[in-house]
Amino acid sequence: MNTNTVQIIMPIIHYFFLVFTAIAIASYVILAIISALETIEYVKKNSFVNYKEILSSTFSPSISIIAPAYNESLNIVENVRSLLSSHYVNYDVIIVNDGSKDDSLSKLIEAYDLIQIDHLINEHIKTKPLREGIYKSTNPAFDKLTVIDKENGGKADALNMGLNMSKNRYVACIDVDCLLLEDALQKMIKPFLETTDAKVIAAGGVIRIANSCIVKDGKLLDVNFPKTWLEQGQILEYLRAFLLGRMAWSRLNGLLVISGAFGLFDKKIAIKAGGYDTNTVGEDMEIIVRMRRYMEDEKQKYKVAYIPDPLCWTEAPDNYKTFISQRNRWTRGTIETLKKHRKIGFNPKYKSLGLISYPYWFFFERMAPIIEVAGIIYFGILIVLNEVRWDYAFAFIILAYLFSVLFSIVAIVSEELTYHQYKKKSIGFKLVMIAFLEPFVNHPTILYSAIKGNIDYYFNKKKKWGVMIKKGMTKA
Amino acid sequence: MNDNLYILESLKHSSPIIQLVWGISGIFFIIIAFLIIYLKYLRTHLRVNEKIEAKYQEDYESYLVTYLYAGNDDEAFSSEQQLIINELKKCVADPFKRKIIISTLLKLRNEISGEMGESIDTLFNKLGLLRYSLAKLRNKKWEVIAIGIRELTQFKIKAVHKIIMNNINHPKREVRKEMQLYLVYLYAFKGLEFLNVLETSLSEWDQIQLLEVLQLNNDTQISDIKPWLKSSNDSVVIFTLKLAKVYNQFEAKEELIELLNHKSEDVRINVISALSHLNVFEAKNILKNNFNERSHEEQIAFLKMMENVYEASDKPFLLEHIHHKNSEINLLVMEILKNINFEEFEVNEAELKKPLTA
Repeated sequence: MNTNTVQIIMPIIHYFFLVFTAIAIASYVILAIISALETIEYVKKNSFVNYKEILSSTFSPSISIIAPAYNESLNIVENVRSLLSSHYVNYDVIIVNDGSKDDSLSKLIEAYDLIQIDHLINEHIKTKPLREGIYKSTNPAFDKLTVIDKENGGKADALNMGLNMSKNRYVACIDVDCLLLEDALQKMIKPFLETTDAKVIAAGGVIRIANSCIVKDGKLLDVNFPKTWLEQGQILEYLRAFLLGRMAWSRLNGLLVISGAFGLFDKKIAIKAGGYDTNTVGEDMEIIVRMRRYMEDEKQKYKVAYIPDPLCWTEAPDNYKTFISQRNRWTRGTIETLKKHRKIGFNPKYKSLGLISYPYWFFFERMAPIIEVAGIIYFGILIVLNEVRWDYAFAFIILAYLFSVLFSIVAIVSEELTYHQYKKKSIGFKLVMIAFLEPFVNHPTILYSAIKGNIDYYFNKKKKWGVMIKKGMTKA
Repeated sequence: MNDNLYILESLKHSSPIIQLVWGISGIFFIIIAFLIIYLKYLRTHLRVNEKIEAKYQEDYESYLVTYLYAGNDDEAFSSEQQLIINELKKCVADPFKRKIIISTLLKLRNEISGEMGESIDTLFNKLGLLRYSLAKLRNKKWEVIAIGIRELTQFKIKAVHKIIMNNINHPKREVRKEMQLYLVYLYAFKGLEFLNVLETSLSEWDQIQLLEVLQLNNDTQISDIKPWLKSSNDSVVIFTLKLAKVYNQFEAKEELIELLNHKSEDVRINVISALSHLNVFEAKNILKNNFNERSHEEQIAFLKMMENVYEASDKPFLLEHIHHKNSEINLLVMEILKNINFEEFEVNEAELKKPLTA
């Protein structure tokens, strides 16, 4: 390549990175503003809602909580107790034991006086067959509980079995180790019941990190701030994503993902769309995209709602190995879903789904880590070639860093103004500190995991879920 | 010092882009510093406020409990009650304290009923809080209006009925909903007259709340629901069908059967459910005769109805649909067949279960 060509290409590359970064920052700012407006509106609307009327009403629609479990023996009994302690009146709990190799089933049988029953399952969606069968409790106190023991087929397959089994109008798909607050179901069901101009097909809620929090009898007693930077960084990351991102997508009706930890679905639409895809590791995103696509194809007016209240608390990875494995899987899930539904992308037929949501996810979720790493490599090459204009580089690096800190601090302020969950003294200082440290602590690992996810997706097709070893929440 | 001057000097001579970037960085830095200070203030303020609020709430609760038990039959207010009223009146002027007094009153109002509940309603008036609630109705912010109506509802202020009715077509559904709840909470079935003029949709959430409030009331004077069954507002018809179910409105049988041909599928499904609940036997034959012309949802609703009113003579009809392409219909048909003749079902189970798994 001669010098002239290099002189032409280099400015193009520079402008590409500059324009990409500028658009990314602009989109974050716009989303944050929309999120703030939407959150204010939500808080206003819900400041005087009497949830008790819905809570105790026999007219409230029926919900099935579906929780897949695989080798959860350590905490399964307590986790199920937590799920059974909801204050909602019209619900049941379906635990799908997905071929666990441990003693999860026998523990459940013993703790809840389960006996095997004969039951017809409506096989709307094909799943792996039953193993031991279906169990119900002989104790009336646990009559809301059903346990299904089936052959291992993965989380998506277990959720599909739950969808087949449920006789209720709505299904709440959750991770069995998640801690649901007692009023979670009535808050989540609200958008389904109050929206009259469109059909609400799914609703997602904020997921909060429960590491170091005190839990007793399935109830959250005390919110604490974890000690490690990795966990603290994730708390900040979740605050940013949920308070400054998803709320805006909800307003734009462009949500493409509802966390697999807790989501509520219109069962009929979920089944009509084909249920969960068992061939992806990003089944939580994939089902939302497919349900949306189904509604678009059917030309039905619909909405995917989002509730900013902290309703579900979950354990986050507390070591880098698990963290990398989790983020690697999220990356592969995103790639798989976007690839599978590429027909939607930039397709005017799918309106905002095809022209806003999909392109955003493609450029700023799917491609962003790759572009960022490409930028770092390019910067390294320029250093080697002694082509770096340090006055420019230094100014832009400081600007990017300050923007990232500012964005995190705005998320912390939003949290304080709305839900103020981290009340204890000194947590404020720790949150601000982690806002300054996070770009050096968590971000490089996230970037590494995303690149590894890409490599695994293209060159290591056999890689599936990976294992997260759970310690269980801190007990009182 | 010299270093600083050098930096400033070199910035002056750098390109406009660099100057701009440093300028923006400076702004970001100032905003970050401001937000950190604000965050510190906010967190301290919230913590302190929570403590003060809890303290006031405890004090007011104690006042109110004393007030409730200090009454005597001889006079409207005992001297002890009068003292408490005077004390609370002083606090009402302060918006922060007023808010806590109202919320404490509401909390107690929701926990007790009977004479004590009425005593709290009287206290609400006596403290002059009615004036503040009415002022909320004139506020420009919709959420303040809604809170005002809610307060008037909870303290059963019937005298402001006409003012509240002004909000019947308020653009915000939250305000309309509070108005509807006010009417039903205070006037029970009579309050449902707003259904005659309701043009907007009554959401399922609103319907559940209205039904719950109606059930709290022991009014046995149930309105004539027939006109609402003919409403052009589908949500009103659906809500009325729920009323028909809850209050066993068998008298509306003819109107209900007519609704089986309503243009809205939702209405038709709800009618089937209401007819099933009321055990209107005539509906069964009508639905059986035009089963194939109905949507899958209606067919499912009908089969659920049949689960309660099946007869042996329904067997040929059920067998006709045993291999229906919709698996839910399939399953329902099998369950009814099983109920009709269990032994026969057992014999044919394997054949019948073909499209299902057990």
